[in-house]
Amino acid sequence: MKKREERLILGKGQYTDDLDFANMAHLVFVGSPHAHAKIVSINSEKAVKLPGVLKVITGRDMMEHTYPLPVQANFKGEGWTWRLVHVYAIPEDKVRWFGEPVAAVVAEDEDTARVAADLIEVEYDQLPLAGNAVEALAPGAPKLYDDWEDNKQVHLKFDFGDPDKAFEMADQVLRVTNREGRVTGLPIEPRGCVGVYDHRNDFLEMWGSFQTPFLSRHNIAATLGMPEAKVKINSVDIGGAFGLKIHAWKENVVALASKLIERPVKWIEPHRDFMATGPHQRDVVFEGDIAFKNDGTLLGLKAQVTHDLGVESTNKGIAALSIFPACSSPTNMYKWVGMHVEGIGVVTNKSFYCAYRGYGKDKGIKFIETAINQVAKKLGMTPEAIRFKNFIQPHEFPFHQINNYMLDSGDYPAILNKAIEMADLDTLRKKKKKLEPAGQYLGIGIITSIEPAGVAVPNCQMGGITQARVLMTPDGSVEVYSDRTEIGQGSEISHAVIAADILGMEHEDIHIKKVTSDFIGQGPLSSRGAVYPASAVAKASKLLKQKIIHCASTLLNIERSEVVVEKGYIFCASDEKKRLSYKEFAEKVFFFPGPRGLDPEMLKNHDHLLDVTTTWYSPTTPESGSAYTTFCVSADIAAVEVDIETGVSKIIKYVHVHDAGTIINQQVVDSQIHGGIVQGIGEALYESLDYDSDGRLMNTSFSNYFIPTSVEAPDIEIAHLETPSPFSETGSKGMGEAPIIGSKAVILDAIEDALSCFNIRVNDSPATPEKVRKWIIEATKKHNGAA
Amino acid sequence: MKNFIGARSMPDLIYHSPNDLDDLMSLLKNAKQKDGDFKIVAGCTDFIPAVRTGRWAFNDGVNIIDIKKIKALEYIKKEDNMLKIGACTRLTQILESSQVNENAQILAQAAIQMASLQVRNTATIGGNICMSSPAADMAPALLVLGAKVTLKDPKGEREIFLKDFFTGPGQNVLKPDQILTQISFPIMGNDKAAHFLKIGTRTAVIISVVSAAVCLGIKNGVCENPKIALGSVAPTPIRIRKAENFLNHKILDDPTIEQCAKIVFEEVSPITDLRSGEEYRKDMARTLVRRAIVACREKLE
Amino acid sequence: MKISLSLNINGQDMELEIDAKQTLLEVLRNNTKFQSVHRSCEEGECGACTVLLDNEPVNSCLILAASVQGATILTSEGLIKNGKPHPLMKAFTDELGIQCGFCTPGMLMTSYAVVNKSGKKELTDKEIRKSLEGNLCRCTGYINIVKSVKQAQKAKNAGEWW
Repeated sequence: MKKREERLILGKGQYTDDLDFANMAHLVFVGSPHAHAKIVSINSEKAVKLPGVLKVITGRDMMEHTYPLPVQANFKGEGWTWRLVHVYAIPEDKVRWFGEPVAAVVAEDEDTARVAADLIEVEYDQLPLAGNAVEALAPGAPKLYDDWEDNKQVHLKFDFGDPDKAFEMADQVLRVTNREGRVTGLPIEPRGCVGVYDHRNDFLEMWGSFQTPFLSRHNIAATLGMPEAKVKINSVDIGGAFGLKIHAWKENVVALASKLIERPVKWIEPHRDFMATGPHQRDVVFEGDIAFKNDGTLLGLKAQVTHDLGVESTNKGIAALSIFPACSSPTNMYKWVGMHVEGIGVVTNKSFYCAYRGYGKDKGIKFIETAINQVAKKLGMTPEAIRFKNFIQPHEFPFHQINNYMLDSGDYPAILNKAIEMADLDTLRKKKKKLEPAGQYLGIGIITSIEPAGVAVPNCQMGGITQARVLMTPDGSVEVYSDRTEIGQGSEISHAVIAADILGMEHEDIHIKKVTSDFIGQGPLSSRGAVYPASAVAKASKLLKQKIIHCASTLLNIERSEVVVEKGYIFCASDEKKRLSYKEFAEKVFFFPGPRGLDPEMLKNHDHLLDVTTTWYSPTTPESGSAYTTFCVSADIAAVEVDIETGVSKIIKYVHVHDAGTIINQQVVDSQIHGGIVQGIGEALYESLDYDSDGRLMNTSFSNYFIPTSVEAPDIEIAHLETPSPFSETGSKGMGEAPIIGSKAVILDAIEDALSCFNIRVNDSPATPEKVRKWIIEATKKHNGAA
Repeated sequence: MKNFIGARSMPDLIYHSPNDLDDLMSLLKNAKQKDGDFKIVAGCTDFIPAVRTGRWAFNDGVNIIDIKKIKALEYIKKEDNMLKIGACTRLTQILESSQVNENAQILAQAAIQMASLQVRNTATIGGNICMSSPAADMAPALLVLGAKVTLKDPKGEREIFLKDFFTGPGQNVLKPDQILTQISFPIMGNDKAAHFLKIGTRTAVIISVVSAAVCLGIKNGVCENPKIALGSVAPTPIRIRKAENFLNHKILDDPTIEQCAKIVFEEVSPITDLRSGEEYRKDMARTLVRRAIVACREKLE
Repeated sequence: MKISLSLNINGQDMELEIDAKQTLLEVLRNNTKFQSVHRSCEEGECGACTVLLDNEPVNSCLILAASVQGATILTSEGLIKNGKPHPLMKAFTDELGIQCGFCTPGMLMTSYAVVNKSGKKELTDKEIRKSLEGNLCRCTGYINIVKSVKQAQKAKNAGEWW
């Protein structure tokens, strides 16, 4: 079953950097050392003279040979601000962020290209800076895009339910503010690709670390002005993605380079480039009023979330799109009367904002969860009590939430109860009380969340498109094609299990094909894998099974209802001697069924063609307008000890209870949970992309952007509940992003609890030792001052 | 201003690998007269990142003089009541050495918290000192041990105190044709204890926000000859004399230790950089010194 | 500057013509095509390029190839014996100590050295975690990797090891 995993462990992976083509040239980008500047001149004379240099591509070449980056999401109108820009993959006139490419050098080998990159002479005229969202929104702030009125790219306004009524009903209203630092997903393998342009056929083929080949093809073809039919994108082994490899942008330059020099061109992005010019996320301030009754009943929210987007995304509109889930996810798993949420996206002189595990859902849920914990504190309730009071109950599913989410299934109280039991919450609380007088500060965080998974924005480009093909080859084994690239999330294992179980075959006989742009679909984003592609594979497998049964019934001369498929055999339920192995079966169907072996009706209907291509669409989205199909459920409880003298937080217990519906493979699900939680811990405690006052990113390496190592990562206790989703084909729910949502919130909540005697709001992540210590000092001063 | 380039190429280099000190000295003698840059390296764990990031550029190539192969620079030995460590001794060798663990455990304590297993297997103690980073973790530990370093050039050899070696961030007294060959310090008696602590944003593989080392003895109930050193709070690793003088001959009770830590807080004037702000550094200098003194006291009790 | 370099890589003696400026990582990947040795940060921070140099894990990106003349190098390809996965590899497969697989070969090499060095002693979780600190993984949260190393150690103590 773990064919891929074994291959990779044996060192037989073929990642982008392992690709080698005859006559291949290498490309290196030259970035701007300034965050905002006019490009006065570019002199590449010295670089071109260096032996081995083949070509230098600048913004002017992009203007001449390519089109602006295409728009991918456009929600103009409806009283919303939604601005887009037309920019090229390399700018001609001005740079807008530190590291932005101003040129690309193509040479015989990478080393030469790197040397030549230093020889490109660029003269800049520095411009004043819009270094962050506050600066960028200030009147008279320097504008990033001249034809915009100001730097506000997006302003969305949502009304869910009846927000005014909610506030009229309220006994109390509480103001809550949360700030999240700027982070990046940072897979260990950076981006990279090889472009191979075949000038004889005017055909461009690319191989590389593409998370969503179908979407990338659209981007690359549009930029190069080629028909999509003339472009093919192939994913190779991908060294992690987390959303960061959805975008195609520098890849367009690689494609152009191959076209211009008519040779294969390879580009592997150094990590410093990946951090300085790669997708960023978070960097938001979420603030608002939460309305509630004195008995703890939650009523409503009026809030605003301001995103520091950096420059307009390379995938036009995709960054802005992440503001939708940020605004709509605060409903989480509770009943509400109404909400009014506004989402603002501001462009600044920072690297662009795009997809990273969470994609906004994390922001909304983190905000509401911390807000609810504040309400509980104010009312003297426990965090669990306020949740039990407001949870949607098991008998209420499917539940049409005020924001149109059609919540599929779950048992929210059971999830939290299980987590409380596993964490031994009472004992933990007693321990906290006991330790505090001894100067030890233990805190317990409690967060519950649902993850809206499997996105399909109704009636638009993001409309859930997905395609799968399952076919039997003449040797009796099965090939599975889909849009779901394997990025480490176990898509190959999952698809093999799904197809094998439905077809009654051994896992070894199911072959999961590498994803290319030939298959339509958005690929694995927004935890779609277990929802859309997996459902499409399951549906195709079921349709193929019908064909197999039909063929087998004629070959075995039995009723269709008598045909059983199991463990690699097809046999008659009442007479097991009548049997065929899949190998025998496929041979018969394809080559020698014998005289009148197959039913004429079947031939007329092409039912002997053991090849099914199908698609799958959410059963709930069209009518409810629910942008998501499944909603997996989690409860996170963490205990953290804070050293108040140093500000260092140490996680001493972590419990995660999860309901991802039907589990296809538990090891894969557990592993996703582990990884997501640790990424969330990184975000909560260490990770922060910081720009200096000149707009230069200060942390561009693993030595100063701190992701958790094996030492900081805690042990995690996991339990599963399985409430199958009625809306997906397998009963499974998407769950890839859930773990990061709960973990980054629960760690901060635990720290706040640990510091409860200081009365500190831990509302600014990451809670680095320095920051925590600062809060403690300030709180102590305030306390002493008051005394 | 230099272009932003994610990773730069290695310069063209001429590689020299002297087998012994004589070879090295004659190389250094000639290197001085040669055109072009030359660079003495051992582990290369700092050299390569410095080149990749463009901090060090050798546009016309560079002569690399790799002293790692000189076996005479790789040793840990006890001699004349001194512990002597060859410059090319790797950090892993130090932290695994029974000599170190028996006679100067603080060095192992500092070494195990430095970088990663892979880097410790490559990086040398001499390299850590010669790079002269204010954050070099070996430095505070060696400073409180009263370490001396031996400097050698084609003309001869001399020994100076480590405290006099550093002159600024990344700067020291070494002349271009001079190398550091040995670090030595008196063996700590049983009547003394030493302790090293560091703090960073993360626990593992982290450059110190502040590191602190303390070494002291207790005789007749009072503290004797205390040494306090800190990393990352000044342009070089430093000793805090005022705090040491304060502590000397005092009973190590909690208020005294607190008072000593307060002096440390007042004495240091660190900078704010990406890793930390000035205030936090001062604050941590105080806390780490206090904790290190307490740890020493506990060890001696 | 061209130099000839003798190395024993994965049990095989090799004579290579290299440029003095090449790192060991570049030589292993480009000259000898041991491509399980992954290039990532090129600055010794991530551990993806970890190989054993005379039995000790090192970042091959931080080593000038010229400086390891005559050394013995082991990459994860060298753990395979007669086509059979090493018990350590089997442990990583069984425990799913892998997701995207990019950090895996480096992770294997550190684990191999650490388990070898531990003798018969059962390493604690804490010791395993400390020794893997230089191998960054962004996917797994390290838990299944620690489990894999523990299983490998059991295999070693049961005599299934090479």
